[in-house]
Order: sequence, then C-alpha cells, then structure tokens
Amino acid sequence: MTYLPKEFLRGLPAVFMASALISTPVFAQDTPVSGGTLVVANDTEPRNLNPAIVASNGVFYISSKIVEPLAEMDYDTGLRPLLAESWEASDDGLSFTLNLREGVTWSDGAPFTSADVAFSAMQVWKEKQNIGRQIFRNLDAVETPDDTTAILRFSEPTPGQLIENALPAVTAVLPAHLLEGENLDETSYNAAPVGTGPFVFAEHKPGELYRLTRNENYWQNGQPYLDQIVYRVLPDPGAKAAALETGDIHVTAFSAVPLTDMARLDAIEGVSVIPGGYEGITYNITLDFNHRREELGNPLVRQAIAHAIDQDFLVDVVFLGYATPATGPVPPTAEDFYTDDTAKYPFDTARAEELLDEAGYPRGADGTRFSLRLRPAPWFQQTRDTGDYVRQALAAVGIEVEIVTADPGGHIAAVYTDHDYDLAIGSPVWRNDPAISTTILYQGGLDAGVPFANQWGYDSPEMNDIIAQGISTLDTAARTEVYKDFQRLAQEDLPIVFLTHFTFITVARDEVRNVANNPRWATSGWADTWIAADQ
Amino acid sequence: MKWMRCHGGLIGGLVLLVIALIALCAHLIAPGDPLNMVARPLTPPFTDPRFPLGTDHLGRNILAGLVHGARVSMTVGAAAAAAAISVGILVGTLAGFSGRIIDDALMRITEAFQTVPTFLLALALVSVLGASAANVVIAIGISSWPPTARLVRAEVLRLKGADYVDAARLAGRAPLAIAFLEVLPGALQPVVALIGITVGEAILVESALAFLGLSDPNLISWGGMVANGRALLRTAPYLVVLPGIAIAVAVLAVTLSGDGLARRLGILGRR
Repeated sequence: MTYLPKEFLRGLPAVFMASALISTPVFAQDTPVSGGTLVVANDTEPRNLNPAIVASNGVFYISSKIVEPLAEMDYDTGLRPLLAESWEASDDGLSFTLNLREGVTWSDGAPFTSADVAFSAMQVWKEKQNIGRQIFRNLDAVETPDDTTAILRFSEPTPGQLIENALPAVTAVLPAHLLEGENLDETSYNAAPVGTGPFVFAEHKPGELYRLTRNENYWQNGQPYLDQIVYRVLPDPGAKAAALETGDIHVTAFSAVPLTDMARLDAIEGVSVIPGGYEGITYNITLDFNHRREELGNPLVRQAIAHAIDQDFLVDVVFLGYATPATGPVPPTAEDFYTDDTAKYPFDTARAEELLDEAGYPRGADGTRFSLRLRPAPWFQQTRDTGDYVRQALAAVGIEVEIVTADPGGHIAAVYTDHDYDLAIGSPVWRNDPAISTTILYQGGLDAGVPFANQWGYDSPEMNDIIAQGISTLDTAARTEVYKDFQRLAQEDLPIVFLTHFTFITVARDEVRNVANNPRWATSGWADTWIAADQ
Repeated sequence: MKWMRCHGGLIGGLVLLVIALIALCAHLIAPGDPLNMVARPLTPPFTDPRFPLGTDHLGRNILAGLVHGARVSMTVGAAAAAAAISVGILVGTLAGFSGRIIDDALMRITEAFQTVPTFLLALALVSVLGASAANVVIAIGISSWPPTARLVRAEVLRLKGADYVDAARLAGRAPLAIAFLEVLPGALQPVVALIGITVGEAILVESALAFLGLSDPNLISWGGMVANGRALLRTAPYLVVLPGIAIAVAVLAVTLSGDGLARRLGILGRR
C-alpha cells in the first residue's frame, strides 16, 4: 500500500500539473483532437437534473455539462468567466453588475440574454435553490438595461466576495423562454434540461445510463472536443474498478473505487490515480452531537470526545492518507479564509478521561460512563468506517457507543428532522466560501427538517452574530477576518467536531486529457476534455 | 459414498462440536472487541503471528472476526431455527388435529407463506423491523416455518386415527391435551430430519442478510465480513474467502449431523 505524503495533497494544483506532464507519454500528441465518446461511471440516478434547483454534486456531475453557471473556478485566476464576461460589486454592497457574454445561444437556438439571468436569479436561485435561498435572501430585483447587462439589486448590503465565490455553484442559468410560467417543481425540464453548455441532454435509460451529445452551437469555438458523454450507472465499487481496467469506462470521480484499490489501479498500465480537482468541493467528515442529550450539552464532554479521537489514525486507516486532519470548519486548501489559530483537541485519552470525570460522569462499576447511539451517514464507505472507529475510540474512554444504521432517507429524517440520534457522522461540503454551506452548520434557530444544517440544538447568540456579520461585511479583508473569528469560536464552543477534510480522487484512463484541471473539475463543463486517439 | 453415509453424521457432529467450542470460547481465543482496529490494514494471512489470518481494510483481526462471527452465526442460526420449528410444530399440530375449517385456514396461510421465497420475506421483515440480532431471528423464524408445519400436519393426520388416540379420547381427555401430549410426540421424529436443513438454511439466510448490510452493525458476522471484503476481491481475496469457507463448513457440518441423527433414529433408510 502506498501512503501519499500529506505535502503532496496540500500542494495539489501545482503538483497535479507536474504529475499530469509526467504521466503523459512523450510521443502522444498534445493538440486536442475532436471526437470520441467518454464513458464515466455514475453512482446515483438523480431524478431532478436541474442544477439551479438542486445544487448538489450528484446533480452537477451530469448537468453541469448541459447548464452553465456564470463563472467557473480556475487554478490560476480564481474564477474563469463563462456566461458572464466580467462582474463588479458596488461599494455600498447594494448592487452587483454582470456583463454577459455576447453571441451565446441556447441549444435549441434561442438567444441567451440578460432576461434569462433575471428569471433564474429571481425565480429559481432565490426561491427554489437549497443554497441560493440563503445567499440571495436579500435580492430585491434584477435590472436588465440591455441584453448583455444584468444588475442584481439587494435590499441589504451583500458582500461582493460572497457573490463571486458563489458564482460557480449557485448560478446555473435556466432558459426563461422555456420555463417562464411553468411550475418549476413539476416541469419535464427537470428530467431533460436544456442549457447553453457544451453538451445537450440526449437520453436517460433508468438503471442503465444517461447520454449527452455535443452541442453544435456551443459559444466557445471548436469546443467541446467530445462527441458524447455516457454516464453508466454502476453503483458497485468493485465493478467500477474492473470496468476501468478493461477500458469499459474512462473515468470514475468522487473516489468511487475503493481507496484500498487505488495502489493496484495506479500500477496498471493506462490507468492513473489523480488526487486533485476537488478543492472547491471539499468534503469534510464531522462528528455531530445532539446537544439535547444532557451529557452532550456539556462542553467538557464534547471536548473530551474530541480528545479521544485520533485524527491521524483516521486519516491513515480509514482514508489511507487521502485526507487531512481538520483543525476547524474551513479546509486549509481555502487559503484566504483558513486559520490555524484555533483551539486544538489533540489525541489524548488521559485528558479525555480527566474531562469526563470533571464533567461528573465517572466510570461505573462495569467501566462504562454512559451509552450513546451513533448514526453514521450511510452514503460513503468512509462515513461508515469513521463510525466504526469512533465507536472504538470512545469505548477506550468509557463511553459505550451503539451504531444504528438506516438508508439515506431514513438517516436524513432521523438526524435532521426527528433529532433521533446522540452522535452522527456527517459529510458536509466546503463550497469556496464559509457562507455558502459551512456557517449553516453553526447557525441557530433553523427549522427542524432543514438538512445538512445545525439541527444539533446548538444556539449561541455570539455565533449567530458572527455569522450575520459575515454576510453583511462588505470589505473583503474585514470579512475574511470575521470568518477567522468564526473558526475560533466554532472550535471553542465545539458544537460539532470537524474530523478530516476528505480529498476525493479521480481515477481515469490515460487517453483522457485535461482531467482535474480546475478545482471543481468533476462538476464543471468538460468542454476542453478530449480523448487521445492512440496510446 | 457408502462410507460418507455411514460416517458423515459423525464427522459433521465433530465439526459442529468444534465450531460450538470455538464460539463458546471466542473471548478466550481472541480477547477484546473483534470490531476494533488493531493492526496495519490489509495484513495478509500467515505473515504476522499476532494476526495469523491477517487483517481487513480497517486493520481488524480476521481470526477474531471469524471466532466471534461463529458465535453470532451459530446463535442466530440455532435461535431462528428453533423459532421456525416451534411455530411449524404448533401450526402443524393444530391443523392436523382440528377439523376441516381450522385445517383449511391454517394450510392456506402456510401456502401463502410458501409462495413468497424465504429469503425475500426475511429481507422485507428485517428492512421493516430494523437491523438487530433479535429482529433477524424473528424474521428468519417467521419466514421458514412452513416446511415443518406441513410435515407435522401429515404425521398428525396419520396418527390421529391410531388406537391409542381413540383410547385417550374415550378416556375423556381434552382435545388439545390429546393433540399435544399424545399425538405430537409420535409425530416429532421426522421433524428431527428437518432440524439440520432448517438450521443450515437459517445460517445461510443470516449470512445473506448480513451481506446486504441488514444485520446488527454492532456485532461481527461472517456474512458481514464477506460484504466488507467484496469490494477488495481483487486486492485481498482472503477477506472474502476465509469467512466464505467458515459459512460453507458450518452449514455442511450442521446438515451432515442432522442427516446422521435422522439415520440413527431410523427416519431415513440406511439402504
């Protein structure tokens, strides 16, 4: 087994580029060629493929090729313009001007205009989208002085930095001419979206595949290079690994093959293991507490539990090195926001036992202090394995843990609606700005049923205040400082424990080029992806 | 083959005894929680004397998993078979001894259960009841009683007209007492032949449920070990092979000894 050195993972963009160069045979042509069908493996079969409504990676993986956002993340420039050529926030934070690209058409031939952006922002992102509802809460109106200008008007000052950071994930633009007046929850568009992107939706054979074909009218000349993308529905990790080997599929993303198979796959001629291309969609593994449980409402107990867990062990054994230990809710790859200056809870079982004694929960006659029920999120091998480890780690300090399993729907209902858990293992996503999907894990006063959010029973006025400051501080430097305070308070109160930041892995065949070349690669448009003819 | 017919029961019984001993002494052979991660992940078998059969993808001791898994498989298998046979005996006796209406009703119910494959029914029940050892026992019990019920009913029907039953009736004993105290003991012998098959099947169903992730996550089981190792079939085949052998050996031992017992009792012909 090969453990990747951690520095390797930290310096991902640069190192990845280097490794891509090394793995490219010298004799292969480096000028993109057009044509070919890219076959990729797909775990799930989302029924709603509308990325403007369901902002989730499972949906983006497919629909980001069809429906484009205003901008995409980029390793060199931060953001690469797509449907918007440039943008500017006003000094008072009350407006955000978008200059849109000219000459773009929808795949049905209709022109793309600022009216589409206005429709999407007001009626979809703000009203319907899981993430957009927070960010565009104060969006009042979208003015469209001409076809290529859209001005977002806010009722409260909204930081330009936040809108900018949100562009890739939350601003998929929908065609107003097809959807205006439709019931957005029911429309057939959601199963077969139409967009401005490099590919066009062709078909979905349930249980078998999704097929996308080349958009002949794509605005970027000569792109896309591929004729087709086929998403084969292959939920079994072992089957994916075998299909990669035989060449039946070209790409698996989101660490879909077993981590323990990575070394074996990497050694196979023609197959490469590529860590990188996920910095803008980093998954985290968290240990969530139910503060309604008397023991867990006590900060000393939460700190003790954090001390009882060996993050390095988790990284080495459960993640085989494909992760970094977390020091707080922001991953170190987010260089602007990240701070190392937070309260730490290093692995120390003696300290953990001391804290538990101090909190008033001594070991009983059988050596047990108290018992807890743990619900690991069922969707990743790593969330389930982390649950197994936490059970073992807490047993060592006298806390008995019983693992309770459920299917994904049952798990979400139990944790986020019914609060029927003591401990849970979660996998929240970092999306480029703390306000997009991170602070909601600490925000007090949310309704029961809001998933992947603070349903822990934690409600701190100080924390709520910092979160409010974060979405209203206009000055970028000052706003960044607010989020450093946020990380400090999060680690001090410790309502949940961030255990590791998960680095997803792409495994691809070498003939596929331009893999993992942006920080959201798996959920980006793939207009520049191409297949080299001979290897 | 003749040799096997004569000694199969003995061999099966001995192997079963060994497995039972291992299950009983699991905590002595491999102390501690078998779910604990104790060593470098994916240590191959026969390389580290402390972990003779190697470790799985999380560094859990495979030997510990196998011996503690024996405990789970054997207990769940035996308990589930006991439940199934008890229900079968109860239903079979009532149906065989009662009049036509009750007999018809019970037999139609039995047939209804038989139309659904045992495993599918157990699967559905565990999904609804939740994954815990007790629920797995209940689910297997509920889904595998019909063969016993039919067998017992046939025997009861055969014995119902016997002279000693008539005598008991004339002596004024209550019908239920006659059914369970006079007729049933005579009808039980053939059920012995079913014990081996029922226990063997219960172990298989338990393993299959665990393979699908529908077993108690806080207990280690052979089926669960196969499921965990499945994704690594190419990298570490021993993760699947070792518990697979354990399941096969246990089921074979149970079936052979059940067979042997039936032969000894003269239920199956010696030929």
